[in-house]
Amino acid sequence: MTTAQPAADSSRRRQWARRLLLIYAVGVLLFVYVPPTYMLLISFNPGLLPHLPSLSHLSVKWYSILFSEERMIAAFKASVVTGIATALITTVLAVLASLAYLRSVNRSLLFNTVVFPMFVPGVIQGLSLAIVFKLPNIIPSLWTITAGHILWALPFAFIVILTSMSALRGSLIEAAQDLGASNWQTFRDIIFPLVSPGITSAALFAFLLSFNEYSRAYFLVGGQDTLPIYMFGAMNAGTSPTIYALAGTILIVSFLGIGAALLALNVRQRRAA
Amino acid sequence: MDNLYDHPSNISRRQFLKLLGVGGLSLGLGGIELLRRPGFSAAQQKQTVQLTFWASGTMTIEQYWQKLEQQEGIKVNFTDNGNDPGPVISKLIFGNAQQLYDVGGLQGGAEKELAVRGQLEPWDESKIPNYKTLWPWARDIPYIRYQGKLYGIPTVINADSVIYLPEKVGKVDTYAVVFDPKLKGKTAMEDAWINSAIFTAIYLKENNLQKIGNPGNLTKDELGAVMEFLIKKKKDGQFRTFWNGWEQGVQLVTSQEVWAMTGWEPIVYAARRAGVKADYAVPKEGYEGWSNDLLLFKGAGQRGRKDAAHRFANWELGGYYGNALGKLRGYMVPTDNNVTYAKAHPQEWPMQEQKDLADHVKSKFFSMKGAIYWQNVRPDNFQLYEEWWQKLRNA
Amino acid sequence: MAEASQRVNPIRRGGVAASPAAAGLGGPGLYLALPTYVIVLVLAVAPLALLVFWSFWRYDPATYWIKPDLSFDAYQTIVSSGRLAVIIKTARIAVTTTALALVLAYPIAYFMHRLAGARLRMLLSLLFLVPFFTSYIVRTFAWRLILGRLGLVNTALQALGVIQRPVEWLLFDEFAVQVGLLASYLPFMIFPILLSMTRIEGSVLEASEDLGASAWQTLRHVVIPLTTPGIFAGSLFVFVMALGSSVEVQFLGGAAESMIAIMITDVMRVLNFPLAFAISTLVLALLILLLVIGNRYLGLSELFRSVSR
Repeated sequence: MTTAQPAADSSRRRQWARRLLLIYAVGVLLFVYVPPTYMLLISFNPGLLPHLPSLSHLSVKWYSILFSEERMIAAFKASVVTGIATALITTVLAVLASLAYLRSVNRSLLFNTVVFPMFVPGVIQGLSLAIVFKLPNIIPSLWTITAGHILWALPFAFIVILTSMSALRGSLIEAAQDLGASNWQTFRDIIFPLVSPGITSAALFAFLLSFNEYSRAYFLVGGQDTLPIYMFGAMNAGTSPTIYALAGTILIVSFLGIGAALLALNVRQRRAA
Repeated sequence: MDNLYDHPSNISRRQFLKLLGVGGLSLGLGGIELLRRPGFSAAQQKQTVQLTFWASGTMTIEQYWQKLEQQEGIKVNFTDNGNDPGPVISKLIFGNAQQLYDVGGLQGGAEKELAVRGQLEPWDESKIPNYKTLWPWARDIPYIRYQGKLYGIPTVINADSVIYLPEKVGKVDTYAVVFDPKLKGKTAMEDAWINSAIFTAIYLKENNLQKIGNPGNLTKDELGAVMEFLIKKKKDGQFRTFWNGWEQGVQLVTSQEVWAMTGWEPIVYAARRAGVKADYAVPKEGYEGWSNDLLLFKGAGQRGRKDAAHRFANWELGGYYGNALGKLRGYMVPTDNNVTYAKAHPQEWPMQEQKDLADHVKSKFFSMKGAIYWQNVRPDNFQLYEEWWQKLRNA
Repeated sequence: MAEASQRVNPIRRGGVAASPAAAGLGGPGLYLALPTYVIVLVLAVAPLALLVFWSFWRYDPATYWIKPDLSFDAYQTIVSSGRLAVIIKTARIAVTTTALALVLAYPIAYFMHRLAGARLRMLLSLLFLVPFFTSYIVRTFAWRLILGRLGLVNTALQALGVIQRPVEWLLFDEFAVQVGLLASYLPFMIFPILLSMTRIEGSVLEASEDLGASAWQTLRHVVIPLTTPGIFAGSLFVFVMALGSSVEVQFLGGAAESMIAIMITDVMRVLNFPLAFAISTLVLALLILLLVIGNRYLGLSELFRSVSR
């Protein structure tokens, strides 16, 4: 048995593992994508039944009237705005809190405090915040919703950043500080680059959590509904298949975006080569 | 003599004069407001007023609200309130709904509770001339009044029974079909004790299976009997599922997940539009009636919008609203004005359709059974209803 | 010279405990966390304390309101009317969902980190996130159309001749609810685990291989322990979200199925606020208890401090 054999074996095994796991990952991905794909297909069915369209009867009818559904589009925009505001504020707070976690001695108090709002049922949190805002007569608006969503998203963002901070090594920070870096420089040049995937994930999570959140928003909503509130109302009171056209549009735009991002990455890699 | 002018420490003369000026200005503006009351110049009356309408989704007429703006100068800002009394009442009391909304629309029964909690103002019938045109039995619905005052104006009315697929179950004229063991796993009811308890009670009462007084307001013992029956049926696997909201209801019928279920009539229309043969039962036990009532929030009074609200209510009973509602959803305003209006404006609305719809709804209320059992979102024992429903959930 | 070697080979640094610098920096740590503390205390803890207080009042049917009448009625009702059973059932479903999500997500995260190139990793990451930009209510509703009697799965199986008549148990039971929950929350498990895998340096895995460990042994003894923060984070996320979910059960569950969130809404529908607050106080208390136990015996809150030097 030559010494090359085990290496070849392990690389073949590695290839098999890679192929198997790739198939598995794609399988799970397909599972997650069954509903959105189904919605995309339904959206091309001109009929009123939420069924798959027959190939001879495809139509973009629901897409063409999508933008005349003013309340839905307005709710969509409101959700995007609220989501972005939530993401920005929550991420900043989460970064600060996670830095404090790294440095502090009483970690469990900090951890428990930040994580606490996660355990509150959404309906109760929404109601309690509504009461809090009623006292100083704060008018409910997208900002009150944002406040509720910050509470909801902060534990998630905090933990996500902490998880990625586990890639951080105390020795790096020490080394930087020994070399005379200030706290801000340490953050900017050491911590931030290493943790940026975590910060990006946290921001994305915060956005998505806010974008999809219903119970808290329901109690804190002012004159403008968010998309989940609109959707719940639509499911209750009845709506046209334009909701599938909206989902379809989001999917198509997202895929185009991903395609573009990958192309850009390709181009950049090829240029660099 | 104490005179503000003699005490520079309190308030300076200039400030005081300013106050007077501001006060005078606001009095003057208020005076203009007073001038805008009915009885004065129509032109002054019809400046556009904003009215926020927080109501169940069945009460909006979408693009047809424009007519209201043209005719009365009222711009309606509609928001769907989910038609769920709990959250609506919570938001009124705990939340800021009173600051946001002027007029409400909710399924009937909660008027007493809202009035007791001081959330509503009574309607002034003298300012709603069309109120007299409401069909008598609509005006006689017990829960719209409290202590003699009118709190809810029934603007949307219908009576519910059973939706069924005739090709699967034949012709249905009784609620028994929903509880038929031969249809196990093929029936459904609504996930709301408000509806389902009263349907079951009507079935049990009229088929002499239980002694029940008013199915819409069950006593403790009656409720127990009704719910035990329903729980047993659930345990036996009678129901495919319970449905929650329009889209779920329609989907159950159009995907043939169920062959018969209690539900709202427009679901039948929606199923037919989608190409599915569905019918609505004319039950020998009688229908279950409900109304969506207009409510006047206290907040409207504080914002000086009471008059606009009354004009709005009057307009809704005037005919155009009823026609639009009929066209959009197949629901009715319980008045003959719809037909009269359609007759007078044939280019806007098809009169025959309106007449047919009106006759159809009227016939339900004077159907074989004769009486109608009114659905009430707040029966006397409503806490107990909820507790029993929880037991059903656990079964 | 020593400094240079520090800079160049940070990995070789000895396994000394938390650097003395960190231990002494309780002060600045507090400043950083202050805004968060304030927000959570003012917006979450304080109002909830009020609600807990109100849970001891009594609902008065005459005035349709609550009376300041100290009573344990609400809490008693939880036990006597089968509401506790709902809490237990919801917890059971949440645990099952979390376990399934962990088992399903871990291999994906492992694949994405270890065996996929940077581009494939980014592509998969984005693909797993995209469905979240569509409304989850519509997505969950779509499962009804897929799992139903005339739905996609049944039609496909019948077309393939696998079954003659539609399968009934695909929809309107716990199976469908689990499917819906998993499809909704799986990415919340994938990403934390993926993030925590960045902590594993290639050299550690090489060392393990050099020492003769099989891939499986490396996985069991090196990779999984090192990704414990990610596992904990993902599990916490999925558990909490499944525990508080209501849409999946409402759309995909059997006749009048219940979860905690649905129960609270039911109770609030009849304005029985003391009961609603009592239920949520109980749920909160149980979760905090779990967290405290986890802190004490598993050191959960310490899990995230960086251990590698």
